[in-house]
Amino acid sequence: MLHKILSALKQNNIATYLINDSRKETVELFFIKEHLDMKRQKEVRQYRITVYHDFEKNGVKMRGSSTVGIHCGMTDKEVEETIKKAYFAASFVCNPYYELPSGKKEEPVIIESSLSRNTLAENARKMAEALFADDSWEDTFLNSAELFVEKNSCHIINSGGIDVGYEKHTVKGEFVTQCITPQDVETYQSFSYDELDTEALRAKVKRALEMTKARAQAKSAPAAGTYTVLLSGQYVRDIFEYFLSRSSAGMVYPKYSNYRIGDRIQGGDVTGELLTITLKAKEPYSSEGIPMTHRPLLKDGVLQTIHGNSRFAYYLGLEPTGVYDSFLVPAGTKYFSEMKSGKYLHVVNFSDFQMDAFSGHFAGEIRLAFLCDGTTVTPVTGGSVNGNLLKAQKNLVFSKEMQIEKGYEGPYAVRFEEVNVAGT
Amino acid sequence: MKVKSSHYLKEAKPFLKELLNSLLEHYSYASILASDSKAMIYSVSKQGTVISEDDILSGRGFVAKVYDGKSYGEYSFNEITKEGIPGILNKIKYSLMPLKDYLPGGISESEYPVLPDDPKTLKESTEYIQDPEELGDEKIIALLSKLCEEGLAYNKKILDCSAGCRYQQYHKLFLSKNKDMEQNILWTNGSLMVMASRSEEIKYFFKTYSNLGGTELLGEMERDLKSVAFTALELLESEPIKPGEYDCICTPEVTGMIAHEAFGHGVEMDMFVKDRALARKYIGKYVASPLITMHDGATAAKETATYLFDDEGVLSQDTVIIEKGILKRGISDSQTAMYLSSAPTGNGRRESYERKAYTRMTNTYFEAGKDKPEDMIASVQYGFLLENARSGMEDPKNWGIQCMVNIAREIKNGKLTGRIYSPIVLTGYVPDLLKSISMISDTVELKGSGFCGKGYKEWVKVSDGGPYIKARIRLG
Repeated sequence: MLHKILSALKQNNIATYLINDSRKETVELFFIKEHLDMKRQKEVRQYRITVYHDFEKNGVKMRGSSTVGIHCGMTDKEVEETIKKAYFAASFVCNPYYELPSGKKEEPVIIESSLSRNTLAENARKMAEALFADDSWEDTFLNSAELFVEKNSCHIINSGGIDVGYEKHTVKGEFVTQCITPQDVETYQSFSYDELDTEALRAKVKRALEMTKARAQAKSAPAAGTYTVLLSGQYVRDIFEYFLSRSSAGMVYPKYSNYRIGDRIQGGDVTGELLTITLKAKEPYSSEGIPMTHRPLLKDGVLQTIHGNSRFAYYLGLEPTGVYDSFLVPAGTKYFSEMKSGKYLHVVNFSDFQMDAFSGHFAGEIRLAFLCDGTTVTPVTGGSVNGNLLKAQKNLVFSKEMQIEKGYEGPYAVRFEEVNVAGT
Repeated sequence: MKVKSSHYLKEAKPFLKELLNSLLEHYSYASILASDSKAMIYSVSKQGTVISEDDILSGRGFVAKVYDGKSYGEYSFNEITKEGIPGILNKIKYSLMPLKDYLPGGISESEYPVLPDDPKTLKESTEYIQDPEELGDEKIIALLSKLCEEGLAYNKKILDCSAGCRYQQYHKLFLSKNKDMEQNILWTNGSLMVMASRSEEIKYFFKTYSNLGGTELLGEMERDLKSVAFTALELLESEPIKPGEYDCICTPEVTGMIAHEAFGHGVEMDMFVKDRALARKYIGKYVASPLITMHDGATAAKETATYLFDDEGVLSQDTVIIEKGILKRGISDSQTAMYLSSAPTGNGRRESYERKAYTRMTNTYFEAGKDKPEDMIASVQYGFLLENARSGMEDPKNWGIQCMVNIAREIKNGKLTGRIYSPIVLTGYVPDLLKSISMISDTVELKGSGFCGKGYKEWVKVSDGGPYIKARIRLG
């Protein structure tokens, strides 16, 4: 197929292009309680071609692009027609000119992982064992789970000489834990690992079982009012992700974000902790073939990097870095036990937590929280948290305790002051 | 005009039948779902112009499902040739089905009966007025560019105006021993989003468009541009709401979000199998005001989730879920129906041929009532008109509500005061909200511009809606 694509590009005199060739193999297991309900396997290969069309409009140099899929089973004629149409479509895409990355042929990178040492089926068995390892409580148990063991291969070729690739293994999925006494409640959790990290999965299931058991004790919503709010677990990542979004070239270029390198993004009168975030390269190359490395994003609250693809980076006069979605954050200044001083509302589970990168607004309905009135801690459920990070960012406190979540390694908990809570 | 058949699937069909026959030599049940889909995304904004094939919705591929006398297995692939058939057969026999031997101690396979396979031959297509491919990329982009420019010129406080269009034309074949079915479907969406900034904070308002058809819907977008821009500017003056429980009038899109997120997910009967849905215990009981009748089904409306058969080869239908306040039944895929000894409702849907089928909603809505929206507003002493549904999350287990809307317009003594609050979180207990519904308007509107996930994945196209409703809702 690659030969067909290159031939069609040549036949249509298309000088500038990007080819993404991806292969995916999976083993998928679906459990309901202690039964395997469905087993699946997948082997697919996809090609995506982006063609670029240079032209002038009103004296301004433009570079339009259009992306199409080339699917297995397409004939030579279909491939040629599809690419020809895409090139024509690109002539209506009036984006100012930008330069694409260039490079050379490199040996494919095999990302070292304990997952790559076994077959997909063997990895599935080991992760399934970890899922069910602590499923032995009387009234709290694993309700259902889905496990996806994947091997992904990517090959990236462009007209600027880039010819790179990598192979990566992952295991991901989700599970629901249930507690039936004194009331029937559940907790949803997802997971994703690049290693055969059976211990991390086992610990996650155990925490979820404990959380669900606690939720079964919670009966009422907190009273409506303003609270010191603590968030922990995956929601801490969602909070940090706001800063990742605001520092992306795709948001800075159209002025959705006013971040500039060197800015103190939390403002000048910060009374809480200053933010330090490192962008983590999870793959060796971006989808455009740009080599990706760990990069500082924020250091002591000062923006170090605006990250993005070649188009937005060119427009902003910056080095293209590729688009990042993983990051590392150092430990905070307080032990979690210290953060829980005085009156607070510690939310451990939302039905769905929303963090809006445009407005800074964050909100979610509370599934389980622990309300402390200064002395007594009571589990509560219901009501919602409704805050704004633009206000809250000056007074953040993070825990010394750390956690690893999908795309995140950093503090386990964050503390906000004066957050609105809708309750009874 | 009717959507034409896929030439590719026609060419592939003899090979698929040969594979099916080979599978039937080894398994008491086998089926193959084949799909050929093209979906395009167009957008124009200050970020730039995009013409791109949608990589989730587009593609060609197949899923084979087999039954070994005890349980089911599925193999997804996207290449079929005569020479490749023995290889696929071997994968299913020697790699997929033996996965049952890789289970931890104490875990066993579920046992199911064989799927019913009543004879059915079908070949149907949906209709459209304007074919997006005939309209062409140039005209679509020209229209969106004009909308973007006019939106930006509306007021200097406007930061951006994003105009978008997407469509999906898909073709599916379902083959089993007794079934040979083909469907060809086209839907189109449009969107307008205007962003305005207040210092670092950005407020936005959006309006979406959808149909079961082609790009004929794009003409509606020009008509609404000014009101979308005006509302985005209004939002700059919005303030946070004082948390509390209020009398609320919900616009049809907010009604749709409540029907879909708060209640609809709870009657997806694969959740009954997992003991994850409270609704199972309420069949035959009042769960809503007697004014409420709720439907779901691929034939319940002509919208973006309309199809002729589901991804397990079951004919689509119109299911009445709530009738005059009483929960009558749920919706289900085939495997769930077998487990619960009920009939499948044509709701077995896959994100694509690469994914498992689950019970999924389609076109979900509340029926109309007899009231006029203006009378409903006039009936409120103090409360809010809720509009511009943003997102929602299901909680079938406990019937908790989490829905977010962009705007709450204040109503005092039966009149809108002009004050607006944003953003708004709706919370509470689903039956409390549904039982509090006291007025329902006389027309139904559906929107099919969104995608629905099962949890945080498995995205499928859905539509939802209903009339204006008056209810008591906790806002924060």
